[in-house]
Amino acid sequence: MKRNFNFINFFTIAAVEVAIFFLVMVFFNIESVWTLVAGLILVVAVVVYAKACKRQFSSFTGIFSSDKRTVMGVLLVLLLLYPLISPHMIRQNTYWLLILIQTGIYIILALGLNIQLGSTGVLNLAVAAFYGIGGYTAGLLALRLGIPAIITIPMGGIVAALFGMILYVPLYKTKGHYMALVTLAFGYMIVLALDNTEFTGGPQGLMGIPELKFFGYSFLTKPGGLHFYTNYYYFTLFFVLLAVLISYRFYNSWVGLTLATIRDDEVAAKCCGVNSNIWKGISFITGNVMIGIAGAIYAHMIGFISPHNFSFAESLFVVAMVILGGLDNILGVIIGTIILSILPEKMRVITEYRILIYGILLIVIPMFRPSGLFPFNPRRYHSSVAKVND
Amino acid sequence: MQNNKKRIFSCKNLEMNFGGLYALVDINIDIFENEAVGLIGPNGSGKTTFFNVITGIYKATGGNLYFMDEGLLGKETYDIAKKGISRTYQSSRLCLKLTILDNILIGMYNNQTAGYFDALFNRKKLIAEVKTFKERAIELLNVFNPDLIDKLFNPMGELPQIDRRRVEICRAMAGEPKMILLDEPSAGMTPDETAEMMDDIKKVRSSMKNVSIIIVEHNMSVISSVSERVIAINFGKEIARGTYEEVSNHPDVREAYLGKEV
Repeated sequence: MKRNFNFINFFTIAAVEVAIFFLVMVFFNIESVWTLVAGLILVVAVVVYAKACKRQFSSFTGIFSSDKRTVMGVLLVLLLLYPLISPHMIRQNTYWLLILIQTGIYIILALGLNIQLGSTGVLNLAVAAFYGIGGYTAGLLALRLGIPAIITIPMGGIVAALFGMILYVPLYKTKGHYMALVTLAFGYMIVLALDNTEFTGGPQGLMGIPELKFFGYSFLTKPGGLHFYTNYYYFTLFFVLLAVLISYRFYNSWVGLTLATIRDDEVAAKCCGVNSNIWKGISFITGNVMIGIAGAIYAHMIGFISPHNFSFAESLFVVAMVILGGLDNILGVIIGTIILSILPEKMRVITEYRILIYGILLIVIPMFRPSGLFPFNPRRYHSSVAKVND
Repeated sequence: MQNNKKRIFSCKNLEMNFGGLYALVDINIDIFENEAVGLIGPNGSGKTTFFNVITGIYKATGGNLYFMDEGLLGKETYDIAKKGISRTYQSSRLCLKLTILDNILIGMYNNQTAGYFDALFNRKKLIAEVKTFKERAIELLNVFNPDLIDKLFNPMGELPQIDRRRVEICRAMAGEPKMILLDEPSAGMTPDETAEMMDDIKKVRSSMKNVSIIIVEHNMSVISSVSERVIAINFGKEIARGTYEEVSNHPDVREAYLGKEV
């Protein structure tokens, strides 16, 4: 009896996810802005309706929440299959492939910033600068010293973390708003330094950064006739999954709990024995490792970086993703990033007013829905700790 | 008077000067193990400042203070907490966005062994430890309000005031401290809730073997029922000490609360 039940659930989950998968590709194909807007309004309407009629749909959504492994498994399979299926379904296939890779890089960035801002409450307005430090580290090592990618990628993260330690010296024991201002200044300083140093290529930046190469396999190869971006797609997907895993493990642990209490009430945390100064530094450095690695991947993939890729506006962009998604909510941050990365690409109208719209979002969201996309998300540590009452 | 009881806390000539404003002047208090001491005084007399100085939130500007024979002067709040002092706050300092379990778990921060790298690579150890600590949290909630056990994963913000206070007390007790500072636990409560709170404080002492309490209160019925001896301060200076009867009848104490007879 139970086995049959599981099959039905499995097919329901798989069917729904595959349907969404194909709808997304339809979305990528839509040319007319008005069809698109109509489609988006429809999606939002469905979501709002579903939330309003929560009870009627609860048995349906229950299937998804009780079998998370299947949901994740099907999602993973679809993500792996995407580059193989999409050339047959999407006209501008390689364009969207690149957008998806870029989105993946932003997800890694946003998850790194989420550890700093979402979990600990450290507003790192220099996030783009550390992104750039990761990129320049990988770019310089590969370009000037011919160092292989297997070293440049982690070095991007390590050097960004080192610069994070340097920045943390003036930040130590600074409070709240002043901390944000110091990071803001640091961000500008880094970009100015990159702009004015010959060694880093000045305002023109680095050009011709070699592509990723692992064990003789060059990422410029076209696997099975597909575009070479496919290599970067799977590579970035791997790091996105790694970043998500690390984020969840930290969240569901003493680390996540400690950082959250520092964010919510630092005095109470200290009276419980938490050395908040050290922990803020740890969170800062941990986030920077992810942010730097994202930069390193970006540098190799695009092959060209310049200081104004990593401006304050770019930092605001990433901050908006974390705030929209919901501070300290990993799933929310991922979805917020996806929305803010993919939507502008589709709606040219938004791209022009992008900074204006993000600015408005950054004002409106804390006013009306400070928790972001998702409401309260309890820390469960592990399914065996949070026994679900039957 | 304290026969053969070990002294766990003492302060001598303790002074707290905020740029000319003397919040504490020449405070000399000894706390012995397993006792409950009441601290009373009108608003602004320095009671919460005293707690803040003990826990290192303010650094004393004069005198000295010791806990378990170790000096506390100049030490950081987190180091002082590790020595076995915990506290509650006048306006509760709880993390309202976090779960009830999270709020109690942080009280056991000093007892954890599964750190940063265990979170990533040794989940078994972490989860086993969280489960053990969760049992301790359930043990504590059982004493104060068993209904809360079903709500372990609910947000703190949902709870009414008296339950928030209870969770705060659970947090203060969770790490098995040697001294707990209770700062106006009945503030903002109705008479019924206050009566429950008095029982709760008695439960603190009965459920933990060797814990001393300093309790700051304005509600004299709580003080008289919970504390074995009372110290009264006004304008940062001690004005009386003794049993509740002695202190409440002391002329200086009456003057401090009720004003001078003309």
